[in-house]
Formats: sequence, C-alpha cells, structure tokens
Amino acid sequence: MRVLELARLGQVLRHGRAAVAACACLMAGAPAAASLTVLERAAVAASADARFPTGAPTTSRQLPHDWHADPDKPAAPLWYRFDLDAVRPAAGAASAAVLIERACGEVTLQVNGQDVELQPAPLLQPGRLCYHPLMATLPATALRSEGNVMDLRLSGALRPRLGSALRAAGLAGVSVGAQDDVAARYRAQLASSVVLPLVLGGVLVALAALAFVVGLANRRYRFWPYFAGLCAAWSVMMAGNWWPYLPVNAHAAEVVVLGAGAVALMCTALTLFRYALWQHRVVDAVLWAQCVLAPLSAWVAGPDQMFRVASAWYVLLAAELVLAIGWYLWLSWRFARREFWFTAVVTLLAVVVVGWHFAGQQDGQTWVQRLVWQLGMPALLMLLGGRLFYQLNAALLAADGVRATLEVRAREAAAEMERSFAQMAEMRVEQVTQAERKRIAADLHDDLGAKLLTIVHTSDNERISTLAREALEEMRLSVRGLTGKPVQLADALGDWRAEVMARLSQAGLEGEWRAPTEELTQTLPARTYVQTTRILREAVSNIIKHSGASQCKVRCRLLDKDFQLIIQDNGRGISMELDGRLDRGHGMASMKHRAKQMHGQCLVESGPGFGTVIRLTLPL
Amino acid sequence: MNNVLLLEDLPEIRAWMKALVLQVFPDAVISECARVHDAIQMVGAVKFDLALIDLGLPDGSGVDVVARLRDQQPEAQSVVVTIHDDDDHLFPALQAGAFGYILKEQARDLIAEQLQRISSGEPPLSPSIARKVIKHFAEQNKPQSDPMPHVQLTERESEVLLRVAKGFTLPEIGVQLNLSRHTIADYVKQIYRKLNVSSRAEAALEAQRLGLFGRAR
Repeated sequence: MRVLELARLGQVLRHGRAAVAACACLMAGAPAAASLTVLERAAVAASADARFPTGAPTTSRQLPHDWHADPDKPAAPLWYRFDLDAVRPAAGAASAAVLIERACGEVTLQVNGQDVELQPAPLLQPGRLCYHPLMATLPATALRSEGNVMDLRLSGALRPRLGSALRAAGLAGVSVGAQDDVAARYRAQLASSVVLPLVLGGVLVALAALAFVVGLANRRYRFWPYFAGLCAAWSVMMAGNWWPYLPVNAHAAEVVVLGAGAVALMCTALTLFRYALWQHRVVDAVLWAQCVLAPLSAWVAGPDQMFRVASAWYVLLAAELVLAIGWYLWLSWRFARREFWFTAVVTLLAVVVVGWHFAGQQDGQTWVQRLVWQLGMPALLMLLGGRLFYQLNAALLAADGVRATLEVRAREAAAEMERSFAQMAEMRVEQVTQAERKRIAADLHDDLGAKLLTIVHTSDNERISTLAREALEEMRLSVRGLTGKPVQLADALGDWRAEVMARLSQAGLEGEWRAPTEELTQTLPARTYVQTTRILREAVSNIIKHSGASQCKVRCRLLDKDFQLIIQDNGRGISMELDGRLDRGHGMASMKHRAKQMHGQCLVESGPGFGTVIRLTLPL
Repeated sequence: MNNVLLLEDLPEIRAWMKALVLQVFPDAVISECARVHDAIQMVGAVKFDLALIDLGLPDGSGVDVVARLRDQQPEAQSVVVTIHDDDDHLFPALQAGAFGYILKEQARDLIAEQLQRISSGEPPLSPSIARKVIKHFAEQNKPQSDPMPHVQLTERESEVLLRVAKGFTLPEIGVQLNLSRHTIADYVKQIYRKLNVSSRAEAALEAQRLGLFGRAR
C-alpha cells in the first residue's frame, strides 16, 4: 500500500519535474531535455566505511527511499548500490552522467569502486538542503564492458532531530543519461528548487526593509513594522535554502527556523489586527511571548526532541493563524467592508498553502506542494505588500489632491477676501465721500446760502441781488455736482425742459422743445448734468437778456454715441466784430470751456439778423 | 388769510418775508418765530390758515412743524419756503403734508405770485418731485407689500405726474389733456394729498412693525 502510494508520488514527482524542466528550458531557450533512465531500486547496506561493504548483508529498496519510513530504521550512513548494466543502453558509451534529485544528507559517489566527483563540490555540498540536485559525470575510464555498479554513500540527519520531516534523510530520483540531458535537468531543478526560492527570500528581505522604513516614516499606519517583520521572518524560514551554507550548528539552525515561524505568526496576526485597527494587550503579550518560548522550549528539549517539539509548536501556530485570520476577517467584515474581499482572498489562500504544506509533512511533498510553499507564500506576501504600498500611494495622492484643493480654496478665499476688502474699502471711501459731500453741501447751504440769500433780498442794487441770486443757483448746482450720482438722461431732459420753458414763458418768449419721445436708458454723469444745465441756463439767459428774440427752439438729439443740444433763437444774433467784447457778456467762452471739459464741443453760429444757433455736442 | 405762521431763522429774510406776506395778504396776522420749538408751541396755541416754513433751522427741521400742523390743524396750508431745491430735502416735507414749496431766492414778484397761487389752490410741482411721487406710489403698490389699504392715484393723476416728470408745465399739460387750469390744479392738489395720506399710512405701519419687533424681544 505504502509502496504503491510512494510509486504514484514518484510518478507525479517525475511529471512535475519534467514540466519544470520544460519551463526552465523554454526560458533558457534550450531544446527540451531528452529522457533519462530512472534507477528505481538499489541494494542498501549500512556501513560507515569508505567503500561499499561488499561482504555485508544488503536489502533491496525501492526509491524514493525515506529512512524514517524504512522498517530497519537506519541511523548510520547507508550505502546504496545501483546496477549500471541494466541502464547501459541509455547511458551511452562515452559521456554518461548521473543526476540525484533529492539526497538529504552528505553524499559520496563511486563507480566500480572509483571515486566520482560530484557537482556541486563537496565543500559546498548542501548536506541538509534536500532538494539541491547533485550531478556527476561517469568517468569512461572507470567503466567496464559489464558488471558496472555505482555506489552512493548517504549520511543524513534523522527525523527526530529536525523541525521538519521534509529535511529528514532519504534518497530519491536517481537517474542516468547522456551528459547533456542530465546537465539540462540539473540546471532546471537548480533554478526551480534553489535559485528561485533564494531570490524570493532576498526579495522578501528587501520588502521587509522597505516596509520597515515606510513604517518608521508613517507612524500612523502601525501595521507596517509588523508586515516588515512578517517578510523578514518568512525569509528566515525560507532560509532552509541557504543556511546550510552557513557555519551554524544544525540544532541551532532548527531552533532559529522554529523561532522564525513563531515570529512570522506573530507578525501576521499583528499586521492583520493593526490593519483592522484592533489591539489587545493580552493577545499582543501572548504572541510576543511565543516568539521567545517556542525556540527556548526547542533548545531546552534538546536535539533529539526537536521534531516532536517543533511539530507541536507548528500545530499550535497553525491553529493561531486560523484564529487570527478568522478574527481579522470578522473585524474587516464589520468595520472595513471595502478591505474585506481582497484580504479575505489573500489570507484564505495563505491558510490553504500552509495547510497543504502541513499535509505534505508526513508523506513527503509533491513538487507542486513544494513549489506552492516556496513560491506561493512569498508571492502572497508580495501581493499583500503591493496592496499596502498601493494604498499608501493612494493615500499620498489623496493627500496631494486634498492639499491641492485646499490650496485652491485658500487662494480663492484669499482672493475673495481681497475682493471684499477692496469692495469694503471702496464702499467706505464712497460712504466717507458721500458724508463729506453732504457736510459740504449743508455748510454751503447754511452759511454761504444764507448770506447770499440775505444779499439777494436786502440789497438795494438790482444788479447785486441778481448776481447773488445767480451765485446761489451756481452754488446749488455745484452741490448737486458734488453728490455725484449719475442722472438718467430722461430725467435730465425733464428738468431742463421744465426750467427752460418756464423761464421762456415768464420772459414772454415763445418756446419750442423737441426731444426724443422713445424710452431713454442712457445716464449722464453728475458733472455732465450740472455743466450742461449751466450751459443751457446761460444760453437761455443770453436769449432772454440780449437777443431780443421772440422765439426759442431747443432740440435734443441722440446721435450715434453723442448727445446733442441745439438752442436756436430768431433774435439779433451776435455780430462778428463785437464778438470778442460780447463774448464775455454772453459767456460763450465759458460755455465752450465747459463743453471742452466734458470732452464735447460747443459751436456758436450767428450773424446779424439771423439769430443764433448754439450746438452743444457731448459724448455719452 | 388771517393767521399766518412764519418760521424763518434769518432775521433779515424773516423781515423781508413778512413784508412780502403783508403785500399779498394785507390784513394777515403774522406770528413769527425762528425755531422749531417755538413754532410747535404756536401751532398748539393759535389756529393758522397759512404757514410758511423754512426747513433748515438751528434746532431741527421744519418738516416736524409741517407734520405737527397736519396733525393738529388739517385745514392749515403748509408751504415750505426754502433755499434747498433738491427733492431730497423737499420730498419729506411734501410727504409730511406740505402743500407746495417756494424757493427763497427768487425775485420778490415771482414769490408773491407763487404764494398767491398756492394759497388759492395751485401748488407747484417740479419734474424731479413728480418722479419721486411716481416712484413712491410704484413702490407702495407692489403686490407683495404691506397688508394696508393702499392709496392709489387715478389714471388722470398718473398721467399728469408723468407729463410733469417729462418737463411739461402745468398749463401745457392742461392744453394737452384738454383740461382747464383749475382742473389740473385740482389733480396736483389730489396728488399732494394722496402722497401725504399714503406716507402717513406707511409711517404708521413702520411704527407698528417696529413696535411688534420691540415686543417680540
């Protein structure tokens, strides 16, 4: 039964190897490896000698051969003798080679009693690194025409002294073939079983360092250091791949690996808990204590109890892992549903990988199990790390975005403040100006106005009282100009018409006023209104006083961008010779001056007997 | 015109005005005063037919006297005699119940004529005052404004106001609308009266509103 199972396992193993080899060859661009001849049986004899104990009793054993599963429970070095004649045709005449895929322990090889050099060299021979392939070229000089045997001496560590059954002594996958084929298979296995895990271990160390630095820089995210610890611990556990190179006591190495397992568990649990923002003092303490207790107990128990102690711890740790993941998933489901699905998949995959690894402990692992264990866990860790870094980056980007938004808002607020401040200042200026204008206006009315008024009504001199009245009118107009409010053109026309027509009719002149009848929307600045009122008043005064006219026509027109006022009388007109002298009296110069001030013009056309036409044109 | 109140702070002008009033109404009894305070006391004591009221006085505004007179002696005619020709000063007085205004610096004959006209029921109305009146009623009669019975101008009154605002003189408007000078004068009187009534209603409502707010606090 057991043999059958093992045989099937071997088959699976071979298929797997072929697949990996094919992959490796494809990657290397080499032609697919030709088939090798597998040596399935060997005569086994226990002996510590440097030669196969020829006289000693031998038993025939099927490969793969696991010492722990062997009924004889071998403890000393074992000699395996393979009959090369049976595979002679495949080995070929000249350059044949042998490949050993799994030899847990130190190996020496002899062909027909002659030592054969193994690759890698004995100094580097990774005694405890079971899946490191070994290869040797069968020397043509040692080969005879028949009766060829190959002797293999294996001295490995026994299962009770190890933390894992996978590193227990045993031999599997010995095959013979053409040198090139063997070399190709050797390289493929070296790549998949040694180099790749080694590289991944390195990557994990780098990831741990990076996560640690990130954790230091971002104290808010407290799971980073634990994630770093997890990566580091895992890389130590994977160190089964490289610690054989180090001058470390075998038991110490086992203890360290067990400790790394405890640390990995603690870091996994705390990473998850901190990620879910959960913390419990007792749980933390227990997890930390475990990291010390596990290796300590293994050390105290001694090398012979290693497997038992380690197995117990691993079972406990696995149970804790399941509990921690369960607890985390519950927390995540309750409080951070968005994170739930991704982490659920990753953690459950991790549970599956770990579980499968444990299942393979007893009966020996398939290559798939080994691959999943050696590549899967680092891959999951990298995936998790990638996710965490992605989130960190997203948080940074979001912070950037927030900062940019804040900046924009701050700028807007500043601009708004400036604007409203400017507005307020403007309003304040306007208010102050308005108040000041009112004060000046009131003062003018109360003081100057009262005095002028007194002059108007108390002076015996008609001319003086007229002048005072005119001064009063002027003052009032100035005050109106002071108030500074723009005047609707329609309103201005109303005011002007009322004044002009009233004055003309008082003076007994016939007045005619023509103005646009449509709705007017234009406004006049206060100054323009006041100055135009003055010009109009002056012109009408002139007509009443000097022209001797019986008629006065006033015409208002809106030109393209101008406003035109035409004042026409049928009086004497202003004679050209007298123009200079009359001008002062008629105020023509001041009219023209005022028009100019408003960027307009005032044209006077007159001739004796033709009356006078005053054209005032102002820009609107 | 028997009893005339003359409120004017400048002695020379007051004397001149007094002479003027006596010229127009030879048998008038004139009560002179120079302060708002005195004028209000006189209003409480004497029944006036006509009051000539200056606006800018040392102890206040003549508008208060106009309002007091309107309250206590509705039959008395208040006429604002002022140096201010701008509607900012005149309009409050008209709202308070003044029945016309005379600008002080005009020639004696002109003022005499205006006085005569006002007292015979022909008050003046300038375009800018007309515009203010139009605006006042337009704002009062907004649909969303107060729950008060609004005083409304008739169509004819509005028509007259619009024409005055455009600068037409009252005689011109009479010709245009084919109305007698007397009728036009009646319209103008009505406009003044309604302005006063509506302003008083507005003021009352404002007072009520303030009172309500005061109580609410």
